[in-house]
Amino acid sequence: MHHVVLDRWSRGRSFLHHRDARAKVLALLAFLIIVATTPPGSNAAAAGYGAFLLAAALLAGLPAGGVLWRGAVVLPFSAAFAAMSLFAGDNIRAIALLEKSYLSALAVVIVVGTTPMPELLRGLESLGVPRFLLLVVQFLYRYLFVISEQAQHMRVAAGARGTASTLAVFRRWRLRAAAGAISVLFARSYSRAEGIYRAMAARGFRGHISLLAAKRFRWQDVAFLVASVVVPAAVRIALGAGGGWPR
Amino acid sequence: MHIPDGFLSTSVWATMSAATVPSVAYMVRRAQREVEEARVPLLGVMGAFVFAAQMINFPVGIGTTGHLIGSAVLAYTLGPAAASVVMTAILAIQALVFQDGGLLALGANVFNMAVAGVLAAYLPYHYWGAGRWRKAAIFSGAALSVLTGALLALAQLRFSGVAMPGAVVWVSLGLFTVNALLEGGITLAVMQSLEALNPGWLRKPAASGRTAMGVLLTAAVLLVGAGVLFAASDPDGIEKLAENLGIASHARTLLETPLGGYEIQYLSSGWLRKATAGLAGLALIYGACVVFGKLIARRRSA
Repeated sequence: MHHVVLDRWSRGRSFLHHRDARAKVLALLAFLIIVATTPPGSNAAAAGYGAFLLAAALLAGLPAGGVLWRGAVVLPFSAAFAAMSLFAGDNIRAIALLEKSYLSALAVVIVVGTTPMPELLRGLESLGVPRFLLLVVQFLYRYLFVISEQAQHMRVAAGARGTASTLAVFRRWRLRAAAGAISVLFARSYSRAEGIYRAMAARGFRGHISLLAAKRFRWQDVAFLVASVVVPAAVRIALGAGGGWPR
Repeated sequence: MHIPDGFLSTSVWATMSAATVPSVAYMVRRAQREVEEARVPLLGVMGAFVFAAQMINFPVGIGTTGHLIGSAVLAYTLGPAAASVVMTAILAIQALVFQDGGLLALGANVFNMAVAGVLAAYLPYHYWGAGRWRKAAIFSGAALSVLTGALLALAQLRFSGVAMPGAVVWVSLGLFTVNALLEGGITLAVMQSLEALNPGWLRKPAASGRTAMGVLLTAAVLLVGAGVLFAASDPDGIEKLAENLGIASHARTLLETPLGGYEIQYLSSGWLRKATAGLAGLALIYGACVVFGKLIARRRSA
C-alpha cells in the first residue's frame, strides 16, 4: 500500500531523522500556527515557507517529488472550496486556501516522514497526550495494513463470485452482501485482537510499549527547534502582507 | 468531512481544540475504566477494522457506490467512550499518515466526528435500543452521527469565513442527508448480521421506557446542529439581532473570538498580537490539562 512509503522514509538517517520527536512536533505546531495566522494575499511569504520546507526535505534526504506529491492529497478538497471563493469574487482568499492547506500538509509529511511512528507517539506521550489513546493509535497503525489486506482479499473474492455485476436485480442483494462481508471482517478482527493480546501478554506486555533506547533532548534539538521557529517567523514578518487579522 | 489545515480561522480551531481536549481526556478516562487491559489491542484492531471496512463498497445508485463510516457500529459494539477513543485514533492516523484532515484542525475534526458524532449515534440506541423501536434506533443513530458531524463541520467552515454560496450549502445538506440515510441502512444491516453471528458483541442498551428524555435529547442534538449552521450561514442576521438588542459592539467578539480575551495589549503589530494570543491560549489549555491530569493522578494514588 502506498503509505508504506512514509514508513520507509522515516527509517533513513539524516540531521532531521536524528532530532528528538518532541522537538519536531513542537516545531511542526509552531510552523502550522505561523502559516495559519498569515493573512491572505501573502504570496511572497508562502513562497518563503515553501523554500523552507523544501530545504528541510532536502536536508532529510527525502525525495522532493515524492514529498510534493504526497502533500498534494489535500488539493482536490481545497480546490473545490477555492473555486467557490473564486466565484464569490475573492481570488486572494482562494489562493490563500490552496497555499495554506498545501504548505501545512507538506510540513506534516516531512515530520512524519522523518520520525518512525513509535518514536513520534512516544514524543507525544512525553508532551502529555494520554498513553491509553496513544496505545490505541499504535495498535491501529500496526494492524491497519494487515486488516486492509484482508479486506482487499475479500473484495477480490467477492468480485470473483460475480458481485461486480451491475444488474438492477442484484442491488438489494449486494447491500446485504456488503453488510455480511463487513460483519465477517468484524468477526475476524475481533478474534485476531484476542490472539494478539494473548501473544503479547505471554511476552510480558503490561499495557505499555518500551523503546530500546530513550532519546535525550540535546543541544542540537534545541538549536533545531529555535531555527525552525525563527526562520518561518522571520519569513512571516519580512514577506507577509501586513495589517489585517487573518480570518 | 475532514477539514484540512488552512481553512479554519484561528479563533475557530483554537476554540474547538479547547473544547475537544477535555472531552477526549474524559472519554479516555471513562474508556480506561470500562475496558480491561486485555481489550486495549482490541480497540486498536477495531480502528483498523473501520479503516478496512471503508474499502468494502456497496452500490448506491447508477454507477456510484457508498461505504461505511463506522462510528455508529463502534458505538454499538464497544460503547460510546471506547468508540470515541477509537475514532480519535482513526482521525489522528488519517491526519498524520494520509494527510486526510489537518493537524491544527484535528481538534475540530475530533469534536465533530469522535465526540459529537459518536454521542449522537449512541443517544437513540441508549434509550430505544432494547424495545420494539430497536431497528429505528440503530438506523437513526447512525444517520444522526453523520448529520451531526457534517453540520458541525459546515458551521465551522462558515464561521471561519470560507465562502459558500447558499445554493452550495443546500446542495451539500442534501448530499449529507443522503449519506446519513445510507449510513443508517448499512449500519442496520451490519448490526443485524453481527447479531446473528454472535449477540455478545453488541452492547446491551439501557432498558427502554424513558422515552420523553430520549426524544428531548435527540431533538436537542438536531436543533443545536441546525441552529449552529443557520447562525453561521447568516452571521449578518445575528448581528442585526444583536444590534436590536443593543449588544452589537460585543457580538462579534462573543461569537467569534472566545480566546480574544487573552490578547496581549502591548504588542502593536496586529498579527503578532493575535498569534501570541493564540499561542498563549494553547499554552493555557496545555498547562490546565497537565495540572488537571496531575491532580487526578495524585487523587487516584492517594
